[in-house]
Amino acid sequence: MENDDSSELIIANKAIDFQNKEKELRAGELIVANKELVYQNVEKEKRAQELVIANVELDFQHKEKELRAAELVVANKELVFQNNEKEKRAQELVVANEELAFQNKEKELRAAELIVANKELVFQNEEKEKRAQELVIANEELAFQNREKELRAAELIVANKELLFQNEEKEKRAQELAIANQELAFQNSEKEKRAKELITANEDLKQAEDDIRKLNDELEQKVIERTAQLESVNKELESFSYSVSHDLRAPIRAIDGYTKIIAEDYAEKFDEDGVKILQSIINNSKKMGLLIDDLLAFSKLGRKQVAFSDIDMMGLVASVQEDLLFDEDDNVPKFNIDALPDAKGDKALIKQVWINLISNAIKYSKYKEKTTVHIGAYIQDNRTVYTIRDEGAGFDMAYYDKLFGVFQRLHSQAEFEGTGIGLAIVQKIVARHYGTVWAESKVDEGTCFYFSLPSITN
Amino acid sequence: MNYENIEILFVEDSADDAMLTIRALKKSGFTNKLHHVSDGAEALDFIYCRGIYETRNFSDHPKLILLDLKMPKVSGLQVLEKVKADPDLHSIPIVMLTSSNEGPDIERCYALGANSYIVKPVDSDKFFHAIKEIGMYWMVLSQSGN
Repeated sequence: MENDDSSELIIANKAIDFQNKEKELRAGELIVANKELVYQNVEKEKRAQELVIANVELDFQHKEKELRAAELVVANKELVFQNNEKEKRAQELVVANEELAFQNKEKELRAAELIVANKELVFQNEEKEKRAQELVIANEELAFQNREKELRAAELIVANKELLFQNEEKEKRAQELAIANQELAFQNSEKEKRAKELITANEDLKQAEDDIRKLNDELEQKVIERTAQLESVNKELESFSYSVSHDLRAPIRAIDGYTKIIAEDYAEKFDEDGVKILQSIINNSKKMGLLIDDLLAFSKLGRKQVAFSDIDMMGLVASVQEDLLFDEDDNVPKFNIDALPDAKGDKALIKQVWINLISNAIKYSKYKEKTTVHIGAYIQDNRTVYTIRDEGAGFDMAYYDKLFGVFQRLHSQAEFEGTGIGLAIVQKIVARHYGTVWAESKVDEGTCFYFSLPSITN
Repeated sequence: MNYENIEILFVEDSADDAMLTIRALKKSGFTNKLHHVSDGAEALDFIYCRGIYETRNFSDHPKLILLDLKMPKVSGLQVLEKVKADPDLHSIPIVMLTSSNEGPDIERCYALGANSYIVKPVDSDKFFHAIKEIGMYWMVLSQSGN
């Protein structure tokens, strides 16, 4: 049993040992806990001390706040009192303010009244100054007048004496005038009579003038009507001559053409006389053609506008001379050309004038040996007169009125060829330049043509 | 009738002028084929292959048109205007023939595209000469153009 006991003991020992160890562990833990507690205790003590200090502080603050509260109560009461005082004062100030506002307005009104019064015073002051100055001037004037009047009085005394003398003279004169007056009264009544007569005569004249004016108006109206008629007739004539010459060309062309065909293709069927007759038909139709062409050119001239420009006359005549072509065996006279002034005109038309006149001069000189054609100019009445003088066949001045007629000829066709339109064209062109053309001639001695154009200065 | 290879279309209402013109062309050795019509309406029928010309070949244009200005029905001016406004035909040379050099006709013809404008001279020699010259000039020119 012992074993049992010892084992029990061992077990118990072990248990105790275990417990011991446990207790030792527990003791170690307790020591640690103790130390912790000690530390905490110390901390709590420190805290307690701090709390005591804080408590003391709070207590002090409490007391301070109480003191302050007591002071604030006192101060509050003081403020309430002051507030009441201020309200009273404010009411007093409102009253005082109203009083001041009222006084202010019163003062403004018074100030405005014063400004008006002031202006009035200033104005019155200025007026018075002006018046004072005027019075000074008036005073001076019066003083001057006074002196003048004294002088005048002295003069009047002299004048009075003079008047007295004159009065006597005038009385004499009045008597003379009374006589003259009677004479004038007589003359006046005569003049009145004459005036009445003149008025009557004037009325008659006015009546006559009215009649003349009326007649004049009627005449003018007639002239206008007649001019319009003439213009329309002129236009009709122009269009007539144009269409006639136009339509005439076709049949002439046919006659000429067919005759030529006969002469060329059937010549062997005609004897010598027959061929001559055919040639005559050809010549005549040719001439008819020329006449128609000339007529056409002439009618065209009436419708063409004249374009005025400055013409270099020397240059123009030279160019005409160059343009006129002559055969070698033509008898062309010598030309002698003076300095020619320039003129105003339609260059193409004036060139045609020179062509016609120069070729005429050559044509009518052809039967004479060594002749001269002289071209010159002179100024007369603001117009330039150009002259062309030949030493050719000339013409009989008895037929002068036919010289410028259309298709009028003073020489036979056999002697001098031509249709008789050239001078008619010259006259028409010159007339359209407000100029005139005329001629002087002696049979077998020669002819001089003159034509005038507006000078370049016009 | 055969209208093939017509080189000159001649439009003239005056039988006399037509006869003299054709003779002038033949006399001056002008042997090209020529067709004469006597008014503008017939000229347009010929050019556009209408009426009696409907069998003609349109593309076979004449090489030259001689055209009188004043004609009944359709005038030369109207024919000129129509042909020169047609892009197929406008290159055909057209020579206007007229009795006068008057009025606005010349400017109007050139404005419409006429290639020449001939005033028929009264003198038949001059007339023959003019016809011959224009015929030669335009025929030669149109051939060299081809």
